Amino acid sequence: MKILEANAGPLTNFEVLEFLRSKGAAKDPTRVLAKVAPSEYKVYDYLVGSAACNQTKESINEFVEKCKPYKLAKAEVLNIINIRPASQVGIYPFIEACETRLNEDEVAELADLVDKILPAPPVELKPEGINNDIEETEKEGQEKDNTITEDQDVDKSQMETS
Amino acid sequence: MFYLSRIEHTLRFPPHLLNLPLQEAIHKELEKLFLDKVIAKLGLCISVYDIRSIEGGFIFPNDGAATYTKRNNLDCFTYSWRLLVVFTLVMFRPFVGEIISAQLLKSDADGLQLSVGFFDDIHIPDHNFPKPSRFQVEPGYSDRGRWIWDYNEQSFDIDNSDEIRFRVISVSYPPIPLEQPKESKPFAPMVITGSIDDDGLGPVSWWTEANVVEDEAT
Repeated sequence: MKILEANAGPLTNFEVLEFLRSKGAAKDPTRVLAKVAPSEYKVYDYLVGSAACNQTKESINEFVEKCKPYKLAKAEVLNIINIRPASQVGIYPFIEACETRLNEDEVAELADLVDKILPAPPVELKPEGINNDIEETEKEGQEKDNTITEDQDVDKSQMETS
Repeated sequence: MFYLSRIEHTLRFPPHLLNLPLQEAIHKELEKLFLDKVIAKLGLCISVYDIRSIEGGFIFPNDGAATYTKRNNLDCFTYSWRLLVVFTLVMFRPFVGEIISAQLLKSDADGLQLSVGFFDDIHIPDHNFPKPSRFQVEPGYSDRGRWIWDYNEQSFDIDNSDEIRFRVISVSYPPIPLEQPKESKPFAPMVITGSIDDDGLGPVSWWTEANVVEDEAT
């Protein structure tokens, strides 16, 4: 084995996810059918749970373009795209010597850019909504019980008449 | 985090793959060789990206492409082809200074072990914690427990409920041990050492809560 080029180009998480999707990786249970190895599925599962899950080529290109005035290193931009830190404090660790290179306003602007351009991860169901649903279903259940007893009464009366 | 790496390899081409189209067969063989394996200094192989060139042999369809060679003074067929293949792999190779989000795998007195699902050898030693941090032993266990960061008389603990962001401090590829002592940890070909000692690092909930507190104060 000979390594010709150790670094033939970095990939964003999104690109790796797209590559795995193009191989047929998906979130359905028929995983055995696709030509995707179990180890590749582990990567896929990690990436689907990360910020890359709903990014698009356009949003990433737009973000890279908008980042230019801040003079960030390529690796920093790549890292921000991968993790999508949408708060000011979240931005700090990504940028080397952040205090000297960017002032507070610029960091806030950058956090805003991340929040606006890179799509937010899909929102999970809020626990409040779930509770409401449960109450509703309980009510429905009670109503159903009532109707059933009524039906039974009807049946009884029918039985008697017949 | 992920890189493409171009590699040249002389591939032994076994006969049982001869019924497949050449590209597909080589792809399969490369996956068998490299997938989910660590190459020293290159990282963990995630996937075979593409095959750039194939040299050194050609296979005719239908005829199985047997080469006729003399071996041990006996005429015999050998089906093993040696092909020189140039291909590209997708590698997982974090760079120093990178921020990665991971899940908690293990928490003990030495520090944390984190996992990204496909790779588990990520360690955060106790000196890379925000200071002051302390370790609280779980009752009933001698070695298990959780780490707590005391900040402004508030305590933040690290549990496995949400993602943890860490900074890569070093990536090392320990040499394969010739003889492994018994009861030692399984050999890890690639080890990532990380740190959560900075603003914005550590469990994500630390910093969203901090924002809420600040907002309330203002």
